[in-house]
Amino acid sequence: MFYAISIIAELILIAAFVFLYLQNRRLRLQRNALLQEKEATYGFIHDVAEVFADATTVDLDHLLRRVLYYAVRTTRAGAGAVYLYEPDKQNLRARAISGIFPPLLGGVDTGLERAMSKSQHVENMVKTRLIGRGEGLVGEVADFGNAVLLPDAETDPRVPRYELDFLQIRSLLIVPMRFHQQVLGVLVVVNRVDGQPFSPGDLNLLQALADQASISVFYAGLRETLDEKIRIDNDLDAARRIQTSLLPKALPRVEGVELAAFNYPALEIGGDYYDFIEVDDTHLGIAIADVSGKGTGGAIMMSVCRSVIRAHAPRHLSPAQVLKLVNQVLSRDVSEDMFISVLYMVLNTATRELVVARAGHERPIVSTEQGGLTILDSPGVAIGISDTPTFERVLEEVTVSLKPGDVIVAYTDGVTEAMNVRDEEWGLDNLLDAIRVASREGANSVLNNVRQRMERFVGNRQQYDDMTLLALHVMK
Amino acid sequence: MRECSIQLEEKGDLNILRLDGSLDAYSFPRLESTLGHLQESGKHRVILDCTALEYVSSAALGALIGFARRAREKGGDLKLTNLSPKIYNIVELLGFNKILEVCDTAAEAEAKFGARA
Repeated sequence: MFYAISIIAELILIAAFVFLYLQNRRLRLQRNALLQEKEATYGFIHDVAEVFADATTVDLDHLLRRVLYYAVRTTRAGAGAVYLYEPDKQNLRARAISGIFPPLLGGVDTGLERAMSKSQHVENMVKTRLIGRGEGLVGEVADFGNAVLLPDAETDPRVPRYELDFLQIRSLLIVPMRFHQQVLGVLVVVNRVDGQPFSPGDLNLLQALADQASISVFYAGLRETLDEKIRIDNDLDAARRIQTSLLPKALPRVEGVELAAFNYPALEIGGDYYDFIEVDDTHLGIAIADVSGKGTGGAIMMSVCRSVIRAHAPRHLSPAQVLKLVNQVLSRDVSEDMFISVLYMVLNTATRELVVARAGHERPIVSTEQGGLTILDSPGVAIGISDTPTFERVLEEVTVSLKPGDVIVAYTDGVTEAMNVRDEEWGLDNLLDAIRVASREGANSVLNNVRQRMERFVGNRQQYDDMTLLALHVMK
Repeated sequence: MRECSIQLEEKGDLNILRLDGSLDAYSFPRLESTLGHLQESGKHRVILDCTALEYVSSAALGALIGFARRAREKGGDLKLTNLSPKIYNIVELLGFNKILEVCDTAAEAEAKFGARA
């Protein structure tokens, strides 16, 4: 009996010890977890201070890398990325990536197997794949501005699956970066390094970091836009100065011919130029061109074109020959998608014979004193876009005999494509009308009539392309 | 002007891009990125169906020539079909019809690709 009691007492004692031990262990674990969380929070507060200590001086990409570094550290994530809206506010671009961040959209391509550095390849894929507003999880969070926490991402149909171990997404956390009412982008982290799923605590920390970061990111973004704008403005300024310096300061006085020309540079694209070259006593060269590239590149191309024409005009009375030389010089150095359309004509002021070569430019118009109009066509490809044999094979010149009283007009597409507020183009027919009714009065009359009618049509609608027109009146 | 939208159809080893709207300096980057993706993934036989294309800037046309050239280097091509008279006029004015192949219909372009294969 005594033994039985003693055994029961012992058992109770042991049970009590076990209970106390377990209780103690549970409390210790809880305490550790709390301490860890506290540590993370303290670490986070420290980090936030670090991130933004000099946020007003660093550039946006630097700032984003830093934000991401602390985001990954705070949430103990294996990888992460920051997506920001592009200036169009429709697409998101991965601006910073940490670790091997698996593509959340678009998957991986076959190039991955061949890639020397797989992580680099994956990073390139993520960086080049733009994500549309509302597209996939990233696009959704950016569109609605609500965070997404997927502790068990493997069961979620919206998460891509990869066979490669280092791309597998087990747990995923996406928070929006908001500033006032505006979503700037999202912060994404994947897979905790300790194998645990992301917790609501991680979400809170990451959102807090994102909220703090958004303020600096917003202002750094403004600075970036401004810097870019200043850079473009400087470039356009330089281009504009080059271009203006290329235009004739004054029109030459040529016996028996009345000349007139206008050039309205547009704010953004363009690069028109025109030139009158006194080749010899009886020959006048007339050039008009439109370069497709904007900025300094276009202006330099234009200046080369002008120099080559001016240099070769005295030796070659054939305009096609001169354009072939321009093409030979320019086709070597021109960037692939840049080209110039050029019209070059040579007028013999004694015989009134006009030779025309057209390299992809608007066709010139001849108006007779009676108001009859002829559009001069001749085959030719724009300069700088085809190989030399093709250019030279296609280009042909035409010769016309002008009569006293004829007016010849050449222009760039900015004139016929001038737009009004209803997005309607002025068009070739209106140009022809304007020429026809004024041509009897001569070159300046044609020019003024075109200018007035066109200005009336476009109103105060801003124009995006240069407008250039020249007129030449063969006097009696 | 309407933005340009692009619809992609794969037909065997041909890729047909249907363009809708207007193609200028602002909307061209989207087409450029689509063409870039095709080129990167080794798809060099491309037809641009311009039935619903309202406007194309000359700069955008110039950029297409670069894509056509690279496609040809890989044994493919980039052909244009169903150009409106207005757009054909721009292509012809620039002389680009001497460089790019322009077909009346997508079927004609497909047949030409077939004949080359």
